[in-house]
Amino acid sequence: MADPILKIRDLSTSFFTEEGKVNAVDSVTFDVEDGEIFGIVGESGSGKSVTALSVIDLIDSPGRVTGGEVWYRNADLAEEFRGSRPEAVDGDFVDVRRLPKGVRRSLRGPSFSMIFQDAMSSFNPSITVGEQIAEAVEVQRRARANPRRTRSRTQGYGLGSAILDTFLPNRDYVSNESMDRAVELLDQVGIPDPEDRAEEYPHQFSGGMLQRAMIAQALAGEPDILVADEPTTALDVTIQAQILNLLRDLQEQEGMSILMITHNLGVIARMCDRVGVMYAGEIVERGPLGDIFENPVHPYTQGLLGSVPDIDDPSDRLEPITGNVPSLLESEMPDACYFADRCPKAMTDCMTRIPEYDLDGRHSVRCVLAEREYDEADALEQEVMADD
Amino acid sequence: MSLSRFLVKRSLQGLFVIWGVITVVFGLRFISPGDPANVLLPPDVDPEVRAEVIAELGLNEPLYVQYWDFISGIPLGDLGFSLVTRTPVAARVLAKLPATLELAIAATIVAIVIAIPLGVISATRRHQPADYGATVFSLVGISTPNFWLGVMLIIVLAVQFDLFPTSQRPIGVDGIVLLFVSGSLGEAVDGLTTWLWHITLPAITLGTYFTALITRLTRSGMLDQLGQTYVRASRAKGLPETLVRYKHALRNTLIPVITVIGLQLGTLIGGAVITEAVFAWPGLGTLIINSINARDWPVLQGSLIVVAVGFVLVNILVDALYAYVNPQVAYD
Amino acid sequence: MISERTLRNLRRELRRSLLAKIGIAVVVFILLMAVFAPFISPYSPGKQNLDEARLPPLGFSTAETKEVTKMENGSVVIEGGEVVTEERTVYTNATAAHPLGTDGNGRDILSRVIYGARTSILVGIFGTSLAALIGVLVGLTAGYYRGRVDDVLMRSADIMLAFPSLVLAIALVGVWGQAQAPIPDPFVVTGLAPAFRSALGFTTGMPDTVVLPGTVIVVVALVNWVWFARVARGEALSIREEEYVKAARALGASDGWTVLRHVLPNAITPILVLATIQVAAIILLESALSFLGFSGADVSWGFDIALGRQYQSTAWWISTIPGLAIVITVVGLNLVGDWLRDALDPGIEGEGGV
Ligand SMILES: Nc1ncnc2c1ncn2[C@@H]1O[C@H](COP(=O)(O)OP(=O)(O)O)[C@@H](O)[C@H]1O
Ligand code: SF4
Ligand SMILES: [Mg+2]
Repeated sequence: MADPILKIRDLSTSFFTEEGKVNAVDSVTFDVEDGEIFGIVGESGSGKSVTALSVIDLIDSPGRVTGGEVWYRNADLAEEFRGSRPEAVDGDFVDVRRLPKGVRRSLRGPSFSMIFQDAMSSFNPSITVGEQIAEAVEVQRRARANPRRTRSRTQGYGLGSAILDTFLPNRDYVSNESMDRAVELLDQVGIPDPEDRAEEYPHQFSGGMLQRAMIAQALAGEPDILVADEPTTALDVTIQAQILNLLRDLQEQEGMSILMITHNLGVIARMCDRVGVMYAGEIVERGPLGDIFENPVHPYTQGLLGSVPDIDDPSDRLEPITGNVPSLLESEMPDACYFADRCPKAMTDCMTRIPEYDLDGRHSVRCVLAEREYDEADALEQEVMADD
Repeated sequence: MSLSRFLVKRSLQGLFVIWGVITVVFGLRFISPGDPANVLLPPDVDPEVRAEVIAELGLNEPLYVQYWDFISGIPLGDLGFSLVTRTPVAARVLAKLPATLELAIAATIVAIVIAIPLGVISATRRHQPADYGATVFSLVGISTPNFWLGVMLIIVLAVQFDLFPTSQRPIGVDGIVLLFVSGSLGEAVDGLTTWLWHITLPAITLGTYFTALITRLTRSGMLDQLGQTYVRASRAKGLPETLVRYKHALRNTLIPVITVIGLQLGTLIGGAVITEAVFAWPGLGTLIINSINARDWPVLQGSLIVVAVGFVLVNILVDALYAYVNPQVAYD
Repeated sequence: MISERTLRNLRRELRRSLLAKIGIAVVVFILLMAVFAPFISPYSPGKQNLDEARLPPLGFSTAETKEVTKMENGSVVIEGGEVVTEERTVYTNATAAHPLGTDGNGRDILSRVIYGARTSILVGIFGTSLAALIGVLVGLTAGYYRGRVDDVLMRSADIMLAFPSLVLAIALVGVWGQAQAPIPDPFVVTGLAPAFRSALGFTTGMPDTVVLPGTVIVVVALVNWVWFARVARGEALSIREEEYVKAARALGASDGWTVLRHVLPNAITPILVLATIQVAAIILLESALSFLGFSGADVSWGFDIALGRQYQSTAWWISTIPGLAIVITVVGLNLVGDWLRDALDPGIEGEGGV
């Protein structure tokens, strides 16, 4: 079996809002293995996007990653920091969260990269697509030329450079080689006439083409791990299938790993090797695709699978069980299984925080049913909530 | 629509507005209670002399003839003659224009140079002291009448501390250029220092409102842009924060800011009029106020036309610039 | 008109924002001051007392050494053909009788600030109402009928916009003259204020009229209606496409009725927000006209700033204090405007200051 490239341990992220603390990601643990596609699935608002952003260290205020580790396998980094930061090193792994800020930043691109749901808003509307991709290439080109500077606070690109680039017409951040490479990348993701398209602005692209361009941009740094947050949700079905195929092909060609985030079980079934099911900021069940699909233990997973949406069905809204994802406000979270108020099998045992049970070393679940049978005598009185 | 067609269309619209402006200004004379002959003549003048003057001014012609005389001269630069000095209005307006332009441009430069960095700092250090400072500054700045600010600057910096002169413009940029061209370098440098020394307070007075306004716009625009997904995507692909902020977010912030600056140029000219009054700055504003006090309508009309037409032209330029920097614009 | 949800948003935003609370407090304070001026003003704003000219505000008493001609028994002392001078310390003492000092004619600055609020508020409110009336009428007509009507009206709006508002206002007032209407002050005419004052032992003799600067009100409205027209037009354009408006028209409702019943109520929120900002802008415009001496008002903050200019090297407070009154008022109005805008999010812009 392949080694993990990424081990997430007890990762927690909260937003400190006016209403209070929102625990959007709560002690999430999972591994992403070398060359695999790991899927995270769950309803909207369950914390998938926040998980993705936490992994690649892009949580903005008022949010903050409050705890946990992100172990990333990189022998060079491990060697480099073994002496200076022993707590951040474990074998070939480094805990990204404990690395200096500049180093963490320099990992975005060559180690981690991300694609988003809405390609149109993920490109700067006033810069050509080609130039934006070339920027991503250029950062890596400069990083190879001068690794030290790249780890400084400004990454070797300070205010002075920004001002000069703006006002001197012969200066530009992006070099010609990078532009050429951007065209190659566009070609690689299957965009016809890449030379011409590179000169166009985002609004001149169709949704599917722009999604391909965004993938090209994410590939520019040759990342080890690509985080894909709902990469096909905004597209219509035929295009969805093309994009998924493209991702699959690229993953095989480049040998990278993908963290695939979606609310669509059809996408999971088609793409992923292993999967984690997310609910209310927690991963409630995780394991190999086959185990989860054929032998789900958590009632939430069972509910999801009861209503697997067809990838060809455009109305793939996932509403498996009555009720809503709770607000995730810390002050309103019960001292019980978060799913209890919607769970058809809730019992008195469920009225405490549930640990993660390991079933067979590969499949784990956060539910008392992992240890005992459902017993009607213990069932909780369920008030069926009629609110919508 | 292509850029050139857009510009043609926009220019035609501008031409129409200019025509409207001229017509409105022509009409201004008719709301005045007295007739222009009274300005020139003592009230007890012989009716025959009076009739003569009226004929000389063309005031007994049918209205359409007067209108045609008024409007047909304008494209040729003929704005009529001053009732008081009997000199061509165009020459007087032209003579005052540089002083006002200097002031307006200096104020705009002051505003842009201070406001954009301030707005960016405010947005990127949100909820920190710098942000609160900038917010309070911009709130007070857009609420302060600039003539009062001018008086305050004079009282504190000119009268109490004697750092700046209270008024006047002993030399203009035109004069400095002339000195420079004629080879007297030392005098040109002296002239430049004098000019800077005299224009500082008026420029601050006129520029503060715009500094405050642009700070506000830049701050809210930057906050908006920094929250966009493309900023997150730029960080995800590893771009340096400087590049994310200045090449991406700031540029997109400035696109709408440019339009607002263009729209506010009218306020700038209005502000210049009153700033000139505070500092005895011999520009168009002073000319307008003097012409009202002297009831010298042709000078007032000529100045209004120059100001309004200039404003229309600048707005067309701003639109063109906007279209040029923003590839998305639909030109409609 | 104003829905439950709107009120809820307003309350929530108010609870959240300290600045909004400050703004409301300031605006209410200034309004009360303007309305109840004849009760609270220490003196009549026009009352001169040349013996007490240029007294500084409390806390700013000065003592300065001056060389003065020596006087004895009321006549100049001459020794050896020369006028004898002596050093003397000259005190200019602030007095509690004039807490904000007095101006060049010995008029009480506090009283003038209080009465000046009336001018600003009158012009601000009447000017804005008139501008809103014209603008909303034009805007609704343009947006509702679209086509040629829209073109004509909006092009004329463009023509108005081509003139810088202050310049146009100066020109209009300058050409037109300065008509003003003295209207009787209800509190004084009814004897309410005088009775109140004599009961408390205040000085009496408050002016029995309020001067309404008529031309200025009309001019600021003529200069600023365009902003209302733009907003009203935008609202009318979008609301006329709504199903219920189409239905009303299909059922044969008259145009006037449809606009009044359906279009106007929906446009009210953005118009209100704009009006708040416009009151601030118009107060600034009025003060500028008064400063230049074009408004004809003799009790006005802007006018008093101009009056103080001749004393700028000896009595700074004469110009300073009325200006502070303007800044405080306009900051208050802008804060209220921000509050409304944040709470109601009407997506409008309007021209600001001077
Ligand atoms: N910027 C934010 N501010 C406050 N709360 C946020 C923010 N972003 C996300 N959240 C909270 O995190 C929860 C999970 O959001 P998200 O990860 O986007 O869900 P998903 O991607 O699964 O639909 C949301 O329900 C929300 O309460
Ligand atoms: S722990 Fe209990 S309530 Fe929670 S999912 Fe399992 S059975 Fe349902
Ligand atoms: Mg999401």
